[in-house]
This record gives sequence, C-alpha cells and structure tokens, in this order.
Amino acid sequence: MNSDLQVQEETVIWNKSIRFLRRFQSLFGLLIIILAATILCTRDGENLFLSPANLANVVRSVSENGIMAIGLTLVILIGGIDLSVGAILGLAATGAADLMMHRSMGMFETILIVLAIGAALGMFNGVVSTKLRIQPFIVTLAAMSIARGVARYWSNGTGIPISYGQDAFLAPPAFSMLSSRIWGIPVPAICFIGLGILFTIMLKYTRFGRHVYAIGGNETAAHLSGISVIRIKIFIFALCGVLAAIAGLIHASQLSQGSPNDGIGYELNAIAAAAIGGTNLAGGKGTIIGTLIGALILGVLDNMLGLLNVNTNIQSIVKGLIIIAAVYLQKQK
Amino acid sequence: MKQEPLLIMKDISKSFGAVQALMKVNLELYSGEVLALLGENGAGKSTLMNILSGGVPSYQGDIEISGERAHIHSPMDARQAGVAKIHQELQLVPELSVAENIYIGREPCTKLGFIDRRRMNLLAKQYLDLLDLHVEPDLPVKRLRIGEQQLVEIAKALSLHAKVLIMDEPTSALSRTETRTLFHIINKIAAEGVSIIYITHRMEEIFELTHRVTVLRDGAAIGTVHTASTNHDELVGMMAGRSITELYPSREAYIGREILRVEHLHFNPPPHTNKRKLQDISLHLHRGEVLGIAGLLGSGRSELFECIYGLHTNHSKARMYIDGVRVQMKKPRDAIRRGISFVTEDRKGQGLVLGRSIGENMSLPLLRAFSKMTFMLRKVEAGHWQEQMDSLKIKAPSYHEIVGHLSGGNQQKVILGRWLLVKPQILLLDEPTRGIDVGAKSEIYQVINKLAANGLGIIVISSDLPEVIGLSDRILTFCEGRLTGEFTQQEATQEKLLSAATRREEVNSRVESTDLHEFGFTGTRRDSNLE
Repeated sequence: MNSDLQVQEETVIWNKSIRFLRRFQSLFGLLIIILAATILCTRDGENLFLSPANLANVVRSVSENGIMAIGLTLVILIGGIDLSVGAILGLAATGAADLMMHRSMGMFETILIVLAIGAALGMFNGVVSTKLRIQPFIVTLAAMSIARGVARYWSNGTGIPISYGQDAFLAPPAFSMLSSRIWGIPVPAICFIGLGILFTIMLKYTRFGRHVYAIGGNETAAHLSGISVIRIKIFIFALCGVLAAIAGLIHASQLSQGSPNDGIGYELNAIAAAAIGGTNLAGGKGTIIGTLIGALILGVLDNMLGLLNVNTNIQSIVKGLIIIAAVYLQKQK
Repeated sequence: MKQEPLLIMKDISKSFGAVQALMKVNLELYSGEVLALLGENGAGKSTLMNILSGGVPSYQGDIEISGERAHIHSPMDARQAGVAKIHQELQLVPELSVAENIYIGREPCTKLGFIDRRRMNLLAKQYLDLLDLHVEPDLPVKRLRIGEQQLVEIAKALSLHAKVLIMDEPTSALSRTETRTLFHIINKIAAEGVSIIYITHRMEEIFELTHRVTVLRDGAAIGTVHTASTNHDELVGMMAGRSITELYPSREAYIGREILRVEHLHFNPPPHTNKRKLQDISLHLHRGEVLGIAGLLGSGRSELFECIYGLHTNHSKARMYIDGVRVQMKKPRDAIRRGISFVTEDRKGQGLVLGRSIGENMSLPLLRAFSKMTFMLRKVEAGHWQEQMDSLKIKAPSYHEIVGHLSGGNQQKVILGRWLLVKPQILLLDEPTRGIDVGAKSEIYQVINKLAANGLGIIVISSDLPEVIGLSDRILTFCEGRLTGEFTQQEATQEKLLSAATRREEVNSRVESTDLHEFGFTGTRRDSNLE
C-alpha cells in the first residue's frame, strides 16, 4: 500500500515535470540550440557565438523576420495566411529609398507614406479575401506579385542606394538610426521586442485579443455573438501589412539601399517562425511569445551554421529538417 | 435465447491517465439481436465501443467473436473480425459517388488496373436495394439527405460482411420519417443475422427497437435487462443511480403581455445554400411563455430563428415588434441589443470556441461591456462567470477549463450561460437538449422554467415531441417553411403534432406518405411510457 502510494506520487511528479517540459518546449529548444552554438562555435579558444558583436548580429538579423512573423501570427490566428509580406518588405524598402533619395522627402513623411502603403496592401488582402470570399492563400499570392511589380516599376527594376546628408536629394541622417544602437542594443531589436511585448499584451488582455481567438476558433460563433468578424479580419490583414512595411524600413536602413528584390522568400521564414512557435495553421491557437522564440531559433540556427562555415545549400537543407522536427514536436502537445 | 453469444467482451478495463474509463465491463451480444447500450455521457459507452471497433489500441480484457478470441487493436483488426461502426458524424466523402464511398479503398478493378465502375455500381446497387435506398450508385453523396447518407454507411458496413454493427446515436440528425425508415432497415438487417449495438439517449427508441438493454454507469456495467420486461423509470434509475421522478417539472405559467410579434415573415434563401424558404409566417410570444416549435429537421425551423435574429436581412422581409415597438434587425448585434438571445442547434459548429476557456466563451457577446479602453476587466468578468457556473451547475474544475474538454451537457450549459449573461428578454433555443444525457436535460428544463417564471419569452425548437409537449405552453408546428398548426399544451399529443408537422400542401412523395401509415402511428404508442 505504502509503496503503491510512493509509486503514485513519483508518477505524479514525473507527469508534472513532463508537462512543464512540454509547456515550455519551444523555449527549451531555443536553449538547446544556443547551447549547441556556444559549444560548437569556438576557434582558438575564443567563443565566436557568445561575443557581444555576434549576439547583437543575431538579434538584429532576427528582428526583420520576427516583426513580419508577428503580423503573420495574427493573420494565421484568424485562420488566414499572408504570402505577400516579403514583397511588401521589398516595396517598402524601395519606396523609402526612392522617396528620400529622389523626391527629397523628410524622414517622417517617408515613414508615414511607406507604412500607409503597407496598410493599403494589407487592407487589399483583407477586403478581397472577406468581401469577395477568395481564399487568403490566393489573394495574398496575387498581392505578392502586385507588390513586387509595383516596386520594380517604381525603381525601374534596380536597387536605390541610400546615402546620408543634409542635401535635398540625400537621406536624412536620422534614418540611419534604424540600424544604429541605443545603449549597445540594436534599434531593430528594440523595435522587435517592443512590438512583441505590445502584441502579447494585446492578445492576452484586450478585447482585440478575444476577438482574434474567437474568430480563429469559431468564426460563426463569433459572428453570432455580435462580433464584426469582417471588420476585424480586414484590420488584422492591414496590421500585417504595416508590420511588413516596418520590417522593410529597417531592411533599407541596415543595407543602406532599397531594392525591389529585397525580401524574396522572407514570407516563408516568417511562416516557419510562427509554426515553430506553436501557431496552428488552422487558426485559433498560438502566441506571440511562441513566435518570438520561433524566430530566435531560426536566427540562432542560421548564425551557428554560418559561423561553422557550413555550405549554404547544406544550411538550407538542415533548416528545412529542423522546421519539420520542431513543428512535429509542437503537435505532440 | 439459448444459442451461444456471437460476441463476448470480457472484463474490459481501460484507463486514460488517472481516469478509469472502464472497469471490468462484460457485454454479450447474440446473433440477430439489437442491443441498446445506455448510459449518461461519460459512462464509458464510447470508450467501450471504440475498443470494439479498433479505435483504442491497448486495453485489458478479452474479446471473443463466434467463439474465437479476436485481437482487436486497430480499425483494420475490427474490420477483419466483422465489426463495423456507424459514426455519429458521418464519415463519407461528399464529392464521391455512393458506390465510390461504399468501395473506397477496395474498388473493384479491371485487369488493367483501372476502376471497374460498372461492376462497382452493380455491386453497390445490391446493397442499396437491400436497404430500400433507391438512389443511383453514381450520385455524389453530398446530394443525398442525411438519413440517406447514413444508409450508405450501413451499406458500406454490410459490403464489408460486418457481423456486428455499432450505431452511435444514429437518429440525432434524422427527421421522424427518416428515423422510421432507419428502424425498419435495422429490423430487416437484424433479421438477416446481423447484430446491432445501438447507442442512444432517447428512451423511446430503446423501447421501439431493441431486444435487450445494457446499462453503463461510471465505467461499470450496471446490468442487462430484456426490453420487454423493463420500463422507463427502471432504466433511468439504473443509468443515473437515482430516479428522476419528473423529467418535465410542472410550473404555474404566468403569461404576461406580448413581447414579440412577427408578421408576414418571408425568406427567400440565396441559391446554393441548404436553407429552406419560409412563407408568410406570423407568430407572437408573451412574457413568461414557453412557445414550442415542432417540425422535422429541414422544415425551416432554424431559418425562422435566424431571420428573427437578423442573419438574413438581405433575403427576408417581415414586420417585427418587440414590446409593441416596430424593430428591424440588420445584424446579430442589433438583436442582442434588443434583448434577443439565440442558442443555436449545432453547439460545436456554431456555438463554442472549443479551444478556449469556459469564461472566454461566455464573455463573447459582452466583450464591450466587460472592457474599458479595450482592456478586459478580468475581475468583473470572473464574477459573472462564477455566477453562471454555480446557477447552471456546470461541472468543471474552474471557469478556466477548456470548453472542448467538457461533456455535451456541460457545453450546452456554457452556451446557455453565455446567453443568459446578456440578460435577454427573448430566448431562442434551437434543439437545446440534443445529444445530452438525461441528468443534464432535466437541469436544462428546470432552467427554462425558471427563466419563464422570471418573465422571459422563450421559443424552443425540438424534434423530440415529448420534450416539446412537456416544456411548452403553446406549440406551433412547422412543415416545409410554413406554419401548419397551433396547439395548447393540453390539446397537444404526439399524434396531432406529428400529423400537423407533416401536413404538406400537395403530396410530394408517395414513399413518405406510406411511411407515415406504416410507422408513424404505431411506434408512438410506446412513448406513453414517458408521461
């Protein structure tokens, strides 16, 4: 009897720790990858991965993808998908470079116009998919082509380098802030983390969050409960467009140029980040924190493979396999 | 029955984690027998049947079929052992034809490896004929009515040479006529030697159809009785472990002034929807009144609620008055604001966000009221949640529990709780007790009565005639989008309601009218057990 009880107690503790591991498994996944990177990436007794410069590099490179992935998480939560974010990033970068370099716009006008373009394209996705009832996959695939086309038309298909100065046809130096650091932290990382916190709070504590989960979980029930499903869906697609445009601004600032070919394939990385973070592509399930961790896992992985001088094609293969493994583990929850 | 049992399940036990779902359950089934498996939700019926049909890979205990030990650990094992299950949610492919569905995965082929459609259709036709289902084998399944689809599933089971057929609440989506047809078929295939295990919540079906009843409670077999030598009260007693003396509590109806009036409602559904057209419907509802609506599935009952609730503004026209004031509802929000609550028929499809908590589900229509500057007021919400949990006796550890983990009865209470939170004047209930156990049913009846006593106007749709009669002060019958009768509770009998609910302008179908004569009036006598 006594030993029975003990066994029972042990299984309870065992079950509890398993549940704990499962609950935070994406976090553990991240830790394991960081650990692997720390151990593997040493040269001449010097740790390449943990050097401040490299860490800053990782966070910076994660930021663009992460910001887009936040928007995608929202869209996926309401049962949609957005394939146009990479193209919107390209259009935003091109637009920003052109407005500042060729049309003598100031920084604020430029940022406003670029964000408005992102919002407009996102809204296009939302309106067409809800009002005309075309699946978001198709609508955003079309929007991807449209955004790329606009960007190429706008810049005659070439990249526009950004140089800074006070002249009318030079970019205001303030714009370079997007690629600088504050207290040693890269500004893109601050944007990424700030937006992550903002949307975590929005999803958890506000009416907006309840709307998102309700629509993603059961659209009919949400509609019958008096929630304006269509309006909220359009809003979320617009938000996703804006976030992609923000990523585009950061991209332009970091590379000091805007090219219509920027961001090709980035939508897939963003979707992968959301999926690794546990967002269910059928909608209704997922968190921003999960997506942030997903983006970090992808970023650290990229960085590690780069430091190890792994052939880029092999990198791509490894990444693909890791995505499948991560999503499979998420499904077991 | 002196013969050896066809199927013996011996000492079947199964636990999921800490939950003991089944404890040494024994079950015997004879050849050609219809055995009812009865029990409240969570009693273990589904688990037991999942074990038999191969859905549960590991369990303790033995299964014997035709005197031989059967090792059933996968659906394939079950199929080989001659066990087939007709699922509650049909598992047909809507786009494929009837024959393709029957022979899915084992299509007869020509020598060249192509599907031999001619032979497949011919083979399928044999089984369809046996089941009196007169549809072409190459018709896509989506064009069939739900009752017909079920027969296709049965045809599939027969084509697999099933000796044991498990049917899990097969009538829950069927109209009265379709139910009759199904019972006829069940008797026919039982006579051919197929044994049927029939799971249901509806007591009258047990008396109409089955030979013996095995009752489960809390994972244990309570006993098996011959249907002919038992009665309603004994079964309910075995099932609940207590006796529910009065399923429909009586109440003093205090009918107040008129709260809702609908005049000349017409509804023209847009094409390509499965909605029924409504013609010239007028009705009124008083405070404190429970108005019952009896009609077959697909008669337009649900469409009536949808129109009142403002879901079809572009396709319907009507004059509506609430408390004597002319109103127009353009969207659900308008209806909610005017004090109308609508509990839909399909709680999983239209009612609940299954992956979220009880509380979040309850708050859905009130997100605006429960928030300030877009931030949810958690304490305010939680107070209301707890209130509903207590007053509706929702069985769950807390309001943080995920709704999808609850039993059907508790899920229904969560929806009811949601719509009571908005403090409605008018409550529209569409099949509020479908597929939930007797205990929860009786609790929901009590809630309805209490609300009526508090002065709400309530309209209840139900295809369960004893329920409509037991609950309502006044009953309207519905047939093919028109109102065909009105009865007071005293006047109403099942026969009267049934004949009014099947009164058509012209006789559309010879088959259905003969069905009525054959089955409609004979079977219902048994229902008097209920009253």
